[in-house]
Amino acid sequence: MFFHIVLERNMQLHPRHFGRDLRPKLVSKLMKDVEGTCSGRHGFIVAITSVENVGNGLIRDGTGFVTFPVKYQCVVFRPFKGEILEAVVTMVNKMGFFAEAGPVQIFVSNHLIPDDMEFQSGDMPNYTTSDGSVKIQKESEVRLKIIGTRVDATEIFCIGTIKDDFLGVISDPTS
Amino acid sequence: MGDKGGKGFSLPRARKSALKTPVSSGLNNGSTKSKQGGNVQFEGGLNFSPKYGGKGDTPINNGKGGKGDKGGNGGKGPEKKTPPPVQLRVEKDLPENVTCLMDCEAAQILEGIQEQMVVLSEDPTIKIPISFDKGLQHAKRGSENYTSPQSVKEILQRLKNHGVAESEACMIANIYPESADEVFSLVPSLKGKKNKLREPLESVLGELAKLRHSA
Repeated sequence: MFFHIVLERNMQLHPRHFGRDLRPKLVSKLMKDVEGTCSGRHGFIVAITSVENVGNGLIRDGTGFVTFPVKYQCVVFRPFKGEILEAVVTMVNKMGFFAEAGPVQIFVSNHLIPDDMEFQSGDMPNYTTSDGSVKIQKESEVRLKIIGTRVDATEIFCIGTIKDDFLGVISDPTS
Repeated sequence: MGDKGGKGFSLPRARKSALKTPVSSGLNNGSTKSKQGGNVQFEGGLNFSPKYGGKGDTPINNGKGGKGDKGGNGGKGPEKKTPPPVQLRVEKDLPENVTCLMDCEAAQILEGIQEQMVVLSEDPTIKIPISFDKGLQHAKRGSENYTSPQSVKEILQRLKNHGVAESEACMIANIYPESADEVFSLVPSLKGKKNKLREPLESVLGELAKLRHSA
């Protein structure tokens, strides 16, 4: 789910950047350092929307670098346990399938795929119902429920299920 | 994927990750169906049995590192308890100054930023992060059916007046359910207020459907 959040960060600036362009350089450095990163608490920082406040700089002893506390608003994407969302399938194998919702990877194990869907290997591996009416393959859109999350240094990885009611395929790329 | 000892997953002691558990272990335990779910455990100690689990399934591990590790599924384990459904708890995990955004709202904001980024991308030192593109794509997909996020927000305000949390209302807008039963099934935290919420929910869903058709 997307959130709009206010975060604070201490930015260090080298003295060579001091001058009339100090603030634009600070904002540019903030964007380079922060956009695209991921934390367990806030999720993926998708984009900075505005800089609320830049505090007074503090000169660090011995180095000459200056630390500025910067408050900024940003759009983040963080998945939650219990969240229902729509994802696009990226890979299918006999253990289950991988899907992507925004920057987040979700794995749905074959244990959490309805029992009436069987894995079919081939050029385009997929899970299909016995009557062939429903198929999960690459590029399919599925509605799933997140039941677990794990945070790495740079990304969030989730486990999902489509075994509950009202979950499953929304659209098929072949249709 | 499937790393043991990853930060967030609480893997049961002396038990392989569910992702590495071969399907055949279900067969060895004498269960009749080939795809026995067994039990999988993730962050937060959630422990559940799949709905379609066969007879005689006992939880392999209740997080106590008990004897269920190998061949403990002799049907002599504790009674199968229906685990509580996984519930959305956004407000507890995030600080208070956080605003939930519907996908259509996020798409509007990110498209505005994208226009600025076109200018910024002329600077070779600035790289547009992949998560931005993916986030924008996801938001656009979710916002295809709503042209006016503002109208959607006003309609959802009615649900919030009945005690629905902001995160739950945003999720309802994102998944665009067709009926109140679908909402109660997908958002178990609202089940407790079923009687109070059914009518307002049905009227809100009707209005959202009108917005979608006019899009």
